[in-house]
Amino acid sequence: MKSITLYVDNHTYLTGLHPYTKLFYVLTAIAVPLLCGRLWVFGAFIAASILMLISAKLLRKAVPLIIFSFTILITIFLIHGLFYTRNENPLFRIGPLLFYQEGVLYAVRIGLNILNMLLSFATFVLSTKPSDLVEELEKSGFSKRFGYIINSVFQIIPQMTGTMNTIMDAQRSRGMNTEGNLIVRAKAFIPLISPVIMSSLINTRERAVALEVRGFDSKEKKTFLYDRPKKKADITLILFFALLIIIATVWRITLWLP
Amino acid sequence: MAPLIEVKNLKYRYPHTKELALNDISFTIERGEFIGIIGANGAGKSTLTQAFMGLVPQFYKGAYGGSVLINGMDASKTPVSTLCKTAGLVFQNPFNQLSGAKDTVYDEIAFGLQNLGICREEMVKRIDDALNLLEISQFRDRNPFDLSGGQMQRVAIASILVMQPDIMILDEPTSQLDPAGTEEVFRAVDRLVKSGKTILMVEQKLETLASYCDKLLLLSKGSLVAFDTPQSVFSRDDLMFFGVQAPSFTRISKALDLKLSDGNYPATLDELVSLKDRLVSPTEVSKNISVQTVDEAPVYSIKQMSFSYLADTPLITGCNLTFDSRSTAIIGQNGAGKTTLVKLLKGLLKPVSGKIYYGDKDIADMTVAMLADEVGYIFQNPDDQIFKSRVLDEVMFGPLNIGMSKEEAKQKSLAALELAGLPDCADTNPYDLELSQRKMVAIASVIAMDTKVIIFDEPTIAQDYEGKERIKSMIRSLSDAGKLVIAILHDMDFVAECFERVIVMAKGKVLADATPSEVFAMPDVLVEARLVLPHVTALCHTLGFEQTYLTVEELLNLYHK
Repeated sequence: MKSITLYVDNHTYLTGLHPYTKLFYVLTAIAVPLLCGRLWVFGAFIAASILMLISAKLLRKAVPLIIFSFTILITIFLIHGLFYTRNENPLFRIGPLLFYQEGVLYAVRIGLNILNMLLSFATFVLSTKPSDLVEELEKSGFSKRFGYIINSVFQIIPQMTGTMNTIMDAQRSRGMNTEGNLIVRAKAFIPLISPVIMSSLINTRERAVALEVRGFDSKEKKTFLYDRPKKKADITLILFFALLIIIATVWRITLWLP
Repeated sequence: MAPLIEVKNLKYRYPHTKELALNDISFTIERGEFIGIIGANGAGKSTLTQAFMGLVPQFYKGAYGGSVLINGMDASKTPVSTLCKTAGLVFQNPFNQLSGAKDTVYDEIAFGLQNLGICREEMVKRIDDALNLLEISQFRDRNPFDLSGGQMQRVAIASILVMQPDIMILDEPTSQLDPAGTEEVFRAVDRLVKSGKTILMVEQKLETLASYCDKLLLLSKGSLVAFDTPQSVFSRDDLMFFGVQAPSFTRISKALDLKLSDGNYPATLDELVSLKDRLVSPTEVSKNISVQTVDEAPVYSIKQMSFSYLADTPLITGCNLTFDSRSTAIIGQNGAGKTTLVKLLKGLLKPVSGKIYYGDKDIADMTVAMLADEVGYIFQNPDDQIFKSRVLDEVMFGPLNIGMSKEEAKQKSLAALELAGLPDCADTNPYDLELSQRKMVAIASVIAMDTKVIIFDEPTIAQDYEGKERIKSMIRSLSDAGKLVIAILHDMDFVAECFERVIVMAKGKVLADATPSEVFAMPDVLVEARLVLPHVTALCHTLGFEQTYLTVEELLNLYHK
């Protein structure tokens, strides 16, 4: 079965870290630059994320994300560089397009913010197995129903794609056209979608029974198969991130003080 | 000591129905017994298994009367999450009984234990034991959904087993499995009985069930007909009246009047063989194995064809075959490439190399739509195609697609429904029918297209005796009408009775291609393809006959000469 998770199990130090440590890194990487407000802090965290991705051999997986974000970044740059409301001082000109300093600066800020969030999130998503995170969340008190829903999504979507293909084959076998102009495709919609819905409903009912007979409604306190103790590295990192957030917060507050 | 299971005057009706699904049933089951539950479709077998688990009435609601006591607990009131520590349920479709939230076999098996709050050391121990008992340790890190049906079903059994219920209830656990997978499941269940578990098993494979179980519970239309030893139940003269056909061994003994010392007829191979001294050896006439030479031009010719989804894992390699108008069964293990082969014939897949000719046309040049009025293909699961709210509209969908006029489509569809045994269902909503009937709707919807070739993919799943007979007669009448019928099958007795030609496949290769009598006389091929003999053939081998006989009738003919 094709997996739809982005997780890469390459046994590096990053996959070995506790999910919460990485989650805390994402929080720090987003919060600290916003608190400080200085552009170089954004740059520092972007560099840190990229270094982490390289050292964990995940950069290649992150490239599509970065490329995707660039299409957005360029749009932002164009719009604000040209039309930002506080534009006053011209910066440079490309052909007929005149870019202003204020707009460009504003665009850079938004762009770095997006890139920073995306990259720090990539370090987390690419190196953490979703079910590991869910299990940790359940241990911290999230309901097991919530956990089940999150985990099952990762299994059900690939299954549904498989069912869709079978249904498509079955209806084509009965002479239904699925290729051609818009009207042909629109006509094919009902024969394709109704069996998907009906069989999902039937399956869901059976699965509900399956969960019942495996004690899903049991009142006992759920136990867990795996223990992921926070290692020394986890604790050191979490303390370090916490320190960064505190420093940034204090610095921010001193700015406000007279 | 009180019995482990005590059912008293159990009555049950599903919501929005008029008929009782269970009608005044009473019996008791002692610890350590293996009980088989048999009956036609709609007899109430599955409903009864749900009642043991408390799912009837707690999950399904409806009207409930009488009582079911499981180890002293009232099944109608005790929460399912408590009952599941005493009774475990495994059902037909392995796919839907996995939790759907775990990505390895190991974690999947742990799911129930986590819910019951079992501590980690105990979980690890129980899971390891179950993996070994069911012989699935080698799959522990695989995704359960990537396994074959037989393997998946054993994972499902393991995940119930680890919860250590005293009672294991299995509802047709082998219906979707190949012969080897079925054997695996039965062996596993047998080990459970030996370890002291009480087993209740709904099963259509009566020969196999009879050789394992202590007692049989025969249901018909919600009522309990008999609760006795397999020999005594199968010896009943009115068995057919309840939609159940006795195992071939019982039918043979009955015809030859071979009774056991208790006055009943044998139900298993071993019992019948034990009476062999009283069996007069028949005079065997050398069977004329006439290799049918068919002069007509082949319908399909496959030349050096190979297929793979991924470049480095070939599925079918160097296949050379021709199909003529003889009805042909394709047999082999799950994953042998059977479905892939018929999908290639239908044009749903294209060969990677080599050619497939339909008549004299290369299939590679034809679209699925172009082949639709020539080749019909009935998929395994009827729910993958049904979308209309009226059976007749559903059946007419194909014929109208391939350009038949409305009148012609209607006439062909009604004829197909008649053939499929659903003449009165034209106006019914398909989803009001049972799964076995929906399968018949799917079959009718392809037959109505009146194609020259008809491909069946495992048509016997979920069918009882009557349904199988209906499909047999459909295949015969289609074949008599000059159509090429190709079917993928796991039921060897069905193959032996119904087909003129058998193709054996294993690991993407054709191992044998001959008449049923010839194929079932090739022990090496059957071993390599992990197949079993039809029951009658196995009997003849054990009795030391020289020739291969396939059906009860064929064998009895020898004696009646």
